[in-house]
Amino acid sequence: MLDIQNLTKRYGNFLAVNNLNLHIDKGEIFGFVGPNGAGKTTTMKIVCGLLRASGGSVTVDGIDAINNPDDIKRKVGYVPDFFGVYDNLKVMEYMEFFGSMYGMKKDDVDNISDGLLELVNLSDKKDVFVDTLSRGMKQRLCVARALIHNPELLVLDEPNSGLDPRARFEMKEVLKNLGAMGKTIIISSHILPELSEMCTSIGIMEHGHLVTSGHVDDVMNSGNGGMKLHIRLVDTKDSKDCKYEDGKPEEGRLEDGRSEDGRPEKDRLEESRSEDDRPGKEELQRILTEQPNVRKVQMTEDEILVSFNGDEAESAVLLKNLILQGYAVSGFYKEKEDLETLFLEITGNHGGSNE
Amino acid sequence: MKDRFIINPILKKEMMVGSRSMKMSWAIMAISAILTAIVVFVLLITNLTSSYNGYSYDSLIVLFPVLGCTECGLLSLMIPVITSASISGEREKQTLDIMLTTPMSPMAIVKGKLMSAMMIVMMYMIASIPVMSIAFVLGGLSWWNLIGLFIMLIYLGIYVGSVGIFCSSVVKKSIAATILTIVIGIGIIVGTVLIYSIGVSAVTAYSLASGNILTTDHYVLALIFLLNPYSPIFDFMLRAMSDSSIYEMLGLNNSIILDIIYRFWIPISMAINLFISYGFLKLAAGKLNSGAVKNKKRNKNKSKIIQDNNN
Repeated sequence: MLDIQNLTKRYGNFLAVNNLNLHIDKGEIFGFVGPNGAGKTTTMKIVCGLLRASGGSVTVDGIDAINNPDDIKRKVGYVPDFFGVYDNLKVMEYMEFFGSMYGMKKDDVDNISDGLLELVNLSDKKDVFVDTLSRGMKQRLCVARALIHNPELLVLDEPNSGLDPRARFEMKEVLKNLGAMGKTIIISSHILPELSEMCTSIGIMEHGHLVTSGHVDDVMNSGNGGMKLHIRLVDTKDSKDCKYEDGKPEEGRLEDGRSEDGRPEKDRLEESRSEDDRPGKEELQRILTEQPNVRKVQMTEDEILVSFNGDEAESAVLLKNLILQGYAVSGFYKEKEDLETLFLEITGNHGGSNE
Repeated sequence: MKDRFIINPILKKEMMVGSRSMKMSWAIMAISAILTAIVVFVLLITNLTSSYNGYSYDSLIVLFPVLGCTECGLLSLMIPVITSASISGEREKQTLDIMLTTPMSPMAIVKGKLMSAMMIVMMYMIASIPVMSIAFVLGGLSWWNLIGLFIMLIYLGIYVGSVGIFCSSVVKKSIAATILTIVIGIGIIVGTVLIYSIGVSAVTAYSLASGNILTTDHYVLALIFLLNPYSPIFDFMLRAMSDSSIYEMLGLNNSIILDIIYRFWIPISMAINLFISYGFLKLAAGKLNSGAVKNKKRNKNKSKIIQDNNN
């Protein structure tokens, strides 16, 4: 759907976009992430035909955006970061105005607008003056406006900025619905958790470069720290408590950590433990560090945090090894990927100047 | 996309938004009030001067040029206010980017803005008809004078509006664009007078020094006033009031070309200034344009070079 090759945009000596290459397939919701001044808005404006590129090519649905700006404008819908209103213009009149700018007939605009206003949950606001709408409503109206000509590609520049949580949620639902309808969407935002929730792919930009891009899960796992595993043993305060005496699950031990006689497993282990066979934290840390793909082990008061470079299957092997070593694992889970952490990690590691 | 001249969406929107605003009503009221005050003032003066000799209706002929010039002056001040916010206002409201993502060309946007300004000018003109009718009845105003005045006002509206839209596209703030428009307007008026005066002084000084009297240069130098947008209005008022004209004022000369120019001063000067207005509109549209055209040309050249290299 969108293909950007070696895109460059220069403002005097400042290089806003530096040799950007990006491909977005039809139906994708692509999240553009990057600090202020990274070049996201510039890239989006070039895609929409609002800015001319200093070099490179942009193709939308097979049409060269730089040489055919008029054709591209029919294929792209643009929602800027700030929604401007016209005083004394009603919602439906606003839609009609932009519909007429696309050369559409009034009847067609009215029919399409009905559906779009319903999609953005503004059906009951048709006869309301635009400047009386809340900011969230205005932003949703702006999305409806951008869809009036049924564009193939929808470009949203920080649509959630300045919105309250409810308005953000409503906007997110609208975008999810559009995604379900098969629209290709490019969205930039600073609210990263939301972006990771609704996007199918993301790209992180910094200093005009696309640092990384791809499917959300792939990008998440591409961070320097890899996968983060949280391991809880029966009592990690003193990890020796959680190791079975013979290193194997004992007969008569129940899955819920209680012995057959009904006493808590911890109490029973306390009684049966001898002073000599109590492995310490150091041993557990050593065992974990020796496991394949383990990069770093952090022992906290409640749990063990393992930086793991392997995939899902390899993490299962780690769990199996721990159990075989005789540790009573009560919790083993992968930390939910955090785009914010990844973003900070990546942008923190990429310095350099655009000059 | 074809430029929409008949129903430009921007014109339609501006008229809708403008008609709901109180600004237009207040402006119409202000114009009518000022024109009425002038009529009353002129009647008062003529009444006072006629105490001994009886009332002279001939003196009321001054009513038409006074009203006409006042209307021109008011429009010269009001149009910059209207048009200078046309682009910068969209920029301030951050709706300009949205407009530019539609297939409407920047020139069509600029034309829409100018047409909406002209619609407002026409409303002011229509609102002034009742007051102008006093001059029609008392001041010996003919239908042709009235139609001529309206043509002059529309011409002036296009000129000042184009300058206003250009300034609006160049300057970010509406207030700065308004001031710049007025400064450019005054600059053109004062500039032409200054150039003419300096030229005449230089020619006179040369004539005195050399002993040769250069009469033709005087007429040539006066051609600079063709660039003054108010000169056709001045000529029109002279013709309407006293059957005189710039041609009559300057007297006959022995150059046929100059003779033709001075005889047809109004259409020639209007045509030149409307052409300049179009230039201002083109510049404004160019400023709005993201540069896609330039880029298109550059890329075409680049692909041609690549093709040539491949061949």
